Amino acid sequence: MNSSQLQLPSYLEQSDAVRSRFTELKERESVLTAKNLSKVFTSPQGKKIVALDNVNLEVKRREFLSIIGPSGCGKSTLMRILAGLETVTDGVAQLDGKTIEGPGAERGMVFQGYTLFPWLTVKKNVMFGLKMKGVGGVTAEQEALQWIELVGLSKFAESYPHQLSGGMKQRVAIARALATKPRVLFMDEPFGALDAQTRAQMQHYLLQIWKNVDVTIVFITHDLDEAVYLSDRILVLEANPGKVQEHIEVPVPRPRTPEQFLHPAFLATKNHIEHLIHPPAEDLYDDLPMLKMTKLGDEVE
Amino acid sequence: MPKQKTPWLRVHKPLSKKRQTFLTILSFLIPILLWCAVSYTPFIWHPDIKLDISANRSDVTTVYTAGDRLSKEYFPTFVDAVRKANADATAGINPNASPRATRRSNQKDLRQIGAVAVKNGWLEHEQTEDDAALYHIWRDLATGTKISKSPQLSEENLTIIKQNWATLSATSPDYKSSSLPETPILKLIPQGTASNPVYLPAPHEVITTGWRDFNASVEEGEITMSARFLQSIKIVFGGFLLSCLIGIPLGIMCGTFDFFSRLFEPFIDFFRYLPAPTFSTLLVAIFLANDAPKIALVFVGTFFQMVLIISKTTRLLDHSLLEAAQTLGAKPTQLLKNVVVPGILPNLYDDLRILLGWAWTWLVIAELIGVKSGLTEFIETQGRYRNFDRVFPIIFMIGFVGFFTDQILAYSKGFFFPWLRVGSSPLERLRQFFGVPSDQNKSKAV
Ligand SMILES: Nc1ncnc2c1ncn2[C@@H]1O[C@H](COP(=O)(O)OP(=O)(O)OP(=O)(O)O)[C@@H](O)[C@H]1O
Ligand SMILES: [Mg+2]
Repeated sequence: MNSSQLQLPSYLEQSDAVRSRFTELKERESVLTAKNLSKVFTSPQGKKIVALDNVNLEVKRREFLSIIGPSGCGKSTLMRILAGLETVTDGVAQLDGKTIEGPGAERGMVFQGYTLFPWLTVKKNVMFGLKMKGVGGVTAEQEALQWIELVGLSKFAESYPHQLSGGMKQRVAIARALATKPRVLFMDEPFGALDAQTRAQMQHYLLQIWKNVDVTIVFITHDLDEAVYLSDRILVLEANPGKVQEHIEVPVPRPRTPEQFLHPAFLATKNHIEHLIHPPAEDLYDDLPMLKMTKLGDEVE
Repeated sequence: MPKQKTPWLRVHKPLSKKRQTFLTILSFLIPILLWCAVSYTPFIWHPDIKLDISANRSDVTTVYTAGDRLSKEYFPTFVDAVRKANADATAGINPNASPRATRRSNQKDLRQIGAVAVKNGWLEHEQTEDDAALYHIWRDLATGTKISKSPQLSEENLTIIKQNWATLSATSPDYKSSSLPETPILKLIPQGTASNPVYLPAPHEVITTGWRDFNASVEEGEITMSARFLQSIKIVFGGFLLSCLIGIPLGIMCGTFDFFSRLFEPFIDFFRYLPAPTFSTLLVAIFLANDAPKIALVFVGTFFQMVLIISKTTRLLDHSLLEAAQTLGAKPTQLLKNVVVPGILPNLYDDLRILLGWAWTWLVIAELIGVKSGLTEFIETQGRYRNFDRVFPIIFMIGFVGFFTDQILAYSKGFFFPWLRVGSSPLERLRQFFGVPSDQNKSKAV
């Protein structure tokens, strides 16, 4: 590992600015709390799968929290419980001190797959939540257009989702979720299907939106750079059963810029999470038990 | 650069639009050409002889009149039998018991010429038993004043005509029922052309009789073809719309709520296996006469399938759309109205197209129950008389109406559901095939 050869500070070291930001953040009221959350799935064959085991979590107002962990560790399950789309087996999940009992407009969600309503134009998609609330036509339309402008898609207000690219669809999904002014915005690998460049652009957009809108964001990703770049805190889960491995306070100062990808604190944090998720294992790069199947002298390496 | 030729057969690859259209046309052309080939090429099939001149055989009770068909094997024995009868007559052997019987037999033989006269346009169809007129036809043919073009009479028959006229004119130059000769005259030898069996009329026959039947003015109290057609349409669409009215909401409820699914679907699943026609007498008993029991049968035939198909379609709706709507604050009734219904609409539309096809299938059975009615009654009656050239136009018409309704519905799908990238319709393909520019090429957003 190259980065370990560099002299990196500990990820626990925080500059004054960062430390004071966290002190201030911890004083804010909690928006989301999870206490001793457990979730057990029972397969049709009767087998029990423990997806979450005694998870505790507290998210402050206007915090940006990322959840990271190996595949199958229960990230989506945790988010779906908080969004009210899944029931708990044990423990409580609360929003502003009230137990979550089902999905609602105060907890918006952006899914990994594109879940825009294909039969509605971009504008009508964004208006959907407002319409459900009973907000009238012209008001809803104007508000929707503002959100569409915020995600930079004014030109496509009358287009149908199938006429948009993947990145554009996710921007509409974000606008749609934000239009109902939720307390929390859940995002489950929202940029997973995008190419690196679009993804960087979307991260940039998201930070700007978050800065200008009163919303708390919970964000699932597999991309360590993305998690460190965006978040205040990172929740690392471990698999089988899904448990909290560590809460990490990201020591990278704000405002975040793409140049910070080489910031020592950034690299230190990333390095640490990497070790948490993929503990160095010798057998990972063992030689395969293979016979040589090429001609002599036809070497590629 | 040389133009690369793409092969016609490629696994799971669509052909070019032009080729698709070409094959679409061909798929209709092939059966039509086959039908024409079988009908108009005398050496293909044609197992029967269609008679132009009737076959009168005094020794057998079966009488084949002009227009009837005999198998090719049977025909020569018939010809031989008639020749023998003629030879007997020349030899003075009279098979008839009395002079009166001979006269009656002679009258029958005289009328053999009727079909020839009608075919040549010398007489109207109603005049085939007008013996006085027929008498003059014999005279004109014998003297050569009239020459039959179609059918062309064989030398043998012309000789018979001349001989017969000699016998007849010796008795009287004009017809008098009392003055027919008391010795048997000669019978015309059966004549005919190779033809296909009666159940396979030629295309032109189907078209001309179809045209005639549709434009025929009917007598008071009878039903015109268009009235029959409207009646059939009423039954199909009546039953289908009724079925939609209850079946669509019920199907959607079953697909959305497990409660309704468990409550209704098991019984419906059972009921759809009961063949709808078995309810015909029951339906007639309940709904009595007229169209009501028929509409009810179409309903029974489509409704149960409809509920199951629509509930399945509803269940296929992308679950994440429902979840997305819920996180946007949609309550169950709002979900139903704003997500489930619009979400399944395109698939529902396709389901209904298939189910409408079902309704057409039930029509035929529906029209046979109670008092027979509509197009089916016509098919039934004409089929019984073996007038298949009158049956086929009706069958084809039902086919065309079903096919074109479906094509129109397929074509309008893009109009109803602008958010779908529907493949181009057959009409659009035809346009492209013939290079007609269309107004459909809307610019696509990036
Ligand atoms: N509906 C379900 N029924 C049964 N088991 C489930 C269900 N949903 C999730 N699981 C199980 O729970 C565990 C956690 O799943 P989850 O989707 O939360 O993982 P994840 O961390 O989001 O994974 P990924 O990163 O691949 O998205 C997995 O073992 C999965 O098999
Ligand atoms: Mg997941």
